[in-house]
Amino acid sequence: MGKLYAVEIVYRGIFQKKLATNISRAIVLAAHLDGKPGISFGRYGDSPERNGIPAKNFAIVATDEQTLQEGMAKYEPKEVDITISVDDTLCKGVESWAWYGLQPINKLTKPGGTLIVTSMEPAEKLIEMAHNRETPYNLAIVKGSRSFSGLWVYKDDHTDVRVLGAIAKVMPELVSLDAMKKTILQEWKDPVKVASAEKSYNRVTKALVQPGQGNPETPYQFELPKWHEMGEGVAIPCIPVGKTVEDPVTHVLGGIRPDRNPTFKKFSTRTMRPVVNFETCIKCTLCWLQCPDTCFDVTPEGLYDANMEACCGCGVCEAVCPVDKCVTMVAETEFADNGSQWETWRKDSTGYLQWLNQKIESRPERSHGFRFKGQYQEQVGEMLQIAQES
Amino acid sequence: MATIVQIDPTQQLDPFKSVKKIPTHEFFTSGHRTCQGCESALVMKMMVKAAGPRTIVLGSTGCMYVANTTYYSTSWVVPWMHTQLGSSGSAALGAAAGLKAQMRKGKMKQEPINVIAFCGDGGGADMGLGAISATMTHPDYNLLILLYDNESYANTDIQLSGSTPWGANTTFSTPGSVKRIMHHRWKKNMAGLMAVGHPTCRYVATICMSYGLHGMNSIRKALTIGGPTFIHSLDPCPKGWDYDPIQSHELGELAVQCGIWPLYEVEDGKLRLTGRTQQIADGKIPRKPVRDYLLRQGRFAHFTNDDLDYFQSKIDQMWTKWLIPGVIPFEKDLAADNPPA
Amino acid sequence: MATLAPAVEEKKGGERTALITGSEAIAVACQLADVDVITAYPIRPYDTVMQYIAKLVSNGEMDCEYIVAEGEHSQFEIVKHASAVGARVFCGSSGVGWMYAMEALTVTPALRIPMVCMVGNRALDDPGAFGTEHNDALAVRDLGWMLTWVDSGQEALDSTLIAYRVAEDRRIFLPCAISCDGAFLTHSQSLLQIPSQEQVNEFLPRYNRADLLLHPDNPITVAPQANEDWVMEIRRQNYAAMERTYGVIKEAFADFERIFGRSYGNPFFEEYMTDDADVVLMGMGTLSTPVKVAIRQMRKAGKKVGFVRLRWFRPFAAEELAQCLSRFQAVGVIDRDYSFGSPHSGGVVAGEVRNALYPGAGKKPPVLGFICGLGGREVTIPDVEKITESVYQAAEGKRQPLTQWIGLRE
Repeated sequence: MGKLYAVEIVYRGIFQKKLATNISRAIVLAAHLDGKPGISFGRYGDSPERNGIPAKNFAIVATDEQTLQEGMAKYEPKEVDITISVDDTLCKGVESWAWYGLQPINKLTKPGGTLIVTSMEPAEKLIEMAHNRETPYNLAIVKGSRSFSGLWVYKDDHTDVRVLGAIAKVMPELVSLDAMKKTILQEWKDPVKVASAEKSYNRVTKALVQPGQGNPETPYQFELPKWHEMGEGVAIPCIPVGKTVEDPVTHVLGGIRPDRNPTFKKFSTRTMRPVVNFETCIKCTLCWLQCPDTCFDVTPEGLYDANMEACCGCGVCEAVCPVDKCVTMVAETEFADNGSQWETWRKDSTGYLQWLNQKIESRPERSHGFRFKGQYQEQVGEMLQIAQES
Repeated sequence: MATIVQIDPTQQLDPFKSVKKIPTHEFFTSGHRTCQGCESALVMKMMVKAAGPRTIVLGSTGCMYVANTTYYSTSWVVPWMHTQLGSSGSAALGAAAGLKAQMRKGKMKQEPINVIAFCGDGGGADMGLGAISATMTHPDYNLLILLYDNESYANTDIQLSGSTPWGANTTFSTPGSVKRIMHHRWKKNMAGLMAVGHPTCRYVATICMSYGLHGMNSIRKALTIGGPTFIHSLDPCPKGWDYDPIQSHELGELAVQCGIWPLYEVEDGKLRLTGRTQQIADGKIPRKPVRDYLLRQGRFAHFTNDDLDYFQSKIDQMWTKWLIPGVIPFEKDLAADNPPA
Repeated sequence: MATLAPAVEEKKGGERTALITGSEAIAVACQLADVDVITAYPIRPYDTVMQYIAKLVSNGEMDCEYIVAEGEHSQFEIVKHASAVGARVFCGSSGVGWMYAMEALTVTPALRIPMVCMVGNRALDDPGAFGTEHNDALAVRDLGWMLTWVDSGQEALDSTLIAYRVAEDRRIFLPCAISCDGAFLTHSQSLLQIPSQEQVNEFLPRYNRADLLLHPDNPITVAPQANEDWVMEIRRQNYAAMERTYGVIKEAFADFERIFGRSYGNPFFEEYMTDDADVVLMGMGTLSTPVKVAIRQMRKAGKKVGFVRLRWFRPFAAEELAQCLSRFQAVGVIDRDYSFGSPHSGGVVAGEVRNALYPGAGKKPPVLGFICGLGGREVTIPDVEKITESVYQAAEGKRQPLTQWIGLRE
């Protein structure tokens, strides 16, 4: 029997659809040049994709056709040699569907396999974000900020080829650098992209993650009911309307915390979250009213507390807030927990404000797709500079 | 003499006086699976917030079905049922008729229950048009059809619909090396069509939830007036329109401010421009150029200056030449057509 | 006096005899069942039922929402949603009209909507033809619909009441279509027994949507989008509901006999002169009349022929039927339908009968298929004699074609 290789690309739906497709496609084309057959596919269950909701692409390569068929016989691979996370905030976990639970980013990574992450963060921080496990794995970092664009206009900032260069380094038996370079030239007809891939090959950093290292939390999961345990007529109970909120200091009850879908959370859909200055809030209601995800709890005193269970990080609350720096979107990498900001503020307002200001200051520039014509050209320049310097 | 049309009483839903008076309870809550910055999800939330708890919602296939509900879970607090893509009109009619018959015959407690069926632009302006049209001619039932228009079949991967703007990039109208403008049909004037073609329709309104209070009060008005009513909402779609989701709210405002999406209502045959559209018509605020709106979206990134000019000219025509600007596309300069002496 | 189905003869307790068509009989059954929402759309021949109901409504003899839809798809979608909010509903169609509603028909069983409707069987276009063929109703045979074929106005009336009783049983909650052959049944009048309202009330409880009621007092979400983690379990639930229909149908027929005093014997199929039969013919619907006449004539000539008329096609009483057919030396199934390219290119019923016989223990008589009476063509006595001749040949072990077209110009 021959050898089977599997690579998964975990990405942000729509924002990175083209990026992920480019990567998995090039892996198969490069392996072909090395004489190995392969297939590239997106997980059908993720289609139609939604902006930001985690999705997966797979590339499966084998040393011969029969071995490849063994890989294709599965709906999706049960384990992979390489997991690629093209957004470092996905290191916190992946939840693509209701009842799917929060799946660790390294869940499918084989013992001794490699997790490749595109990030500006240091290895220690990424390791802490990912769930710990019993077997060791490698972490490889391709330095770069999140590459997001949309359906129609692709931000060609070389993230795709830089990841491809890293793959050749991490697992040369899957694809050789030589085959990868040839493939990139064939696909993009751009020698600069070939150079980017090679630089990435030379500069990708790698660290061994030991068993037990990482987020110690047990990710939540659900057990699917049996057919006779499910309600008939494809019907399920609606969500209750919600309950009042209790002030952690005065124990006054008031406001409302809407009940929420218990089996689908937005923890892993989010790449940034709002931080709220409750002292400058003028209670205009706009963040709460205009939130498409109903993520704001209303506090007894009429403030609005973004509930991290439900926030998908779209940023509309920041856009509609009339007060400067009252609602500010900050990258998800800056947070280790999902607790209530309002409760923290109620318990220690001075400490909270210090924390808030520090978060706002450290927030990196965000781009979640097209804002105006010509924007990507500006951003690509910055990205290429990072690539040169890294 | 027996009354030919017997309409049941409706819930009397007074307009919300201000954003601060909007009730805090939610009837469409978190945990749906829509895109970041989905304005259509916002429409769902505001729609049932405006309607209140004694409401039944029927949702035809589309994003607000597929993305919103993932079996065996839900985001709905009020009762909700799926209906087929072209069936929003029939769903509303059936539910309203079922309730009415049972209440009249003493099989169910008598009370006004709101019946709202929603459809996307594919379900409403394309496939379901016939059923909605038929439903609007039934004077006997209290119901609202809400068309949430994100200007494509957004659920299935952004294919063009009869409601997609001229020239937009969709997976069925990708600009190519020979045809830059693959989609050369103009967007269907759906609200106007409903108002003009269905004199029995008690209330037609256009809304955009970037103006949430206005939109919610339109919904409350429709439900209070009773009879068959129709509301058309324009919903910016970060996925299909290709923009950073943080811009969702602003793009909705721009659609109105550029005059592309006129806000109006037709109540028992009486037309009234509303919101920003009224202010533009009155000359209180300027109508912004369409490029301010179009160039913010990736779906128009292939537009040349000529394309932008053409788009602008069509909007200008709508504002200056139409018999009723933004509503009735007949041109009003019939006087110039000198008849023989 | 009732404007519809006026009494030819009044009986004690409110029963009456009336001279009415099959369509009229179903309209009367809907009136007696106090149906709440009815949707109509014109297509021949089923729509006569809606014409009768319109009269009942305009004369104040029936209190329902009578909605004329703009097409069959809407027609079925409207009643689907009315049923979801707890209303008893009635609907119907014929031929391509039924096919136009196909999307609505597919979702109804999965949603567990106990819709009752009439199919006035009609040939599918093209060419446009008004005559009967069973392919319209049979098109939904795999989807979770209960399908019954009747052969008289009386049976049409009775089956409508039974259909509501079975469909609306909480153990079932599946839609039921009553198939009536176009023209033969829908348009011809005969003297029928119309039960009293009291009898119907005793037989047919009020529709109670119970835990599946779509109402603010029972907030449920119905039919969210499912992925591959769920669909199989949902299908399995419908499988279980359809399995339960056998028992519930038997219960309903037993109660029917007790309350109305009319018996149909075995609910699933009628046996005619089978006690001593060598061979039997089989079929559904009104072809029973020429077949029975022909059988009586052939018996005079010494041929021991019987007839098994399938009353319920879904559920299909496979075990009971296999047991029944094992008594005979050969079976000839007359199909008023086609299934091009199917095994032996036979009719649908012939294929199902062979399927029912295959796994059973005991004798398996040869099953011949006959395509006959398509597009409403008359099934003649000589046709039936010709069929019987071939079935006898098979019984004697002589090789016969498995599918034969009868009554065809050739």
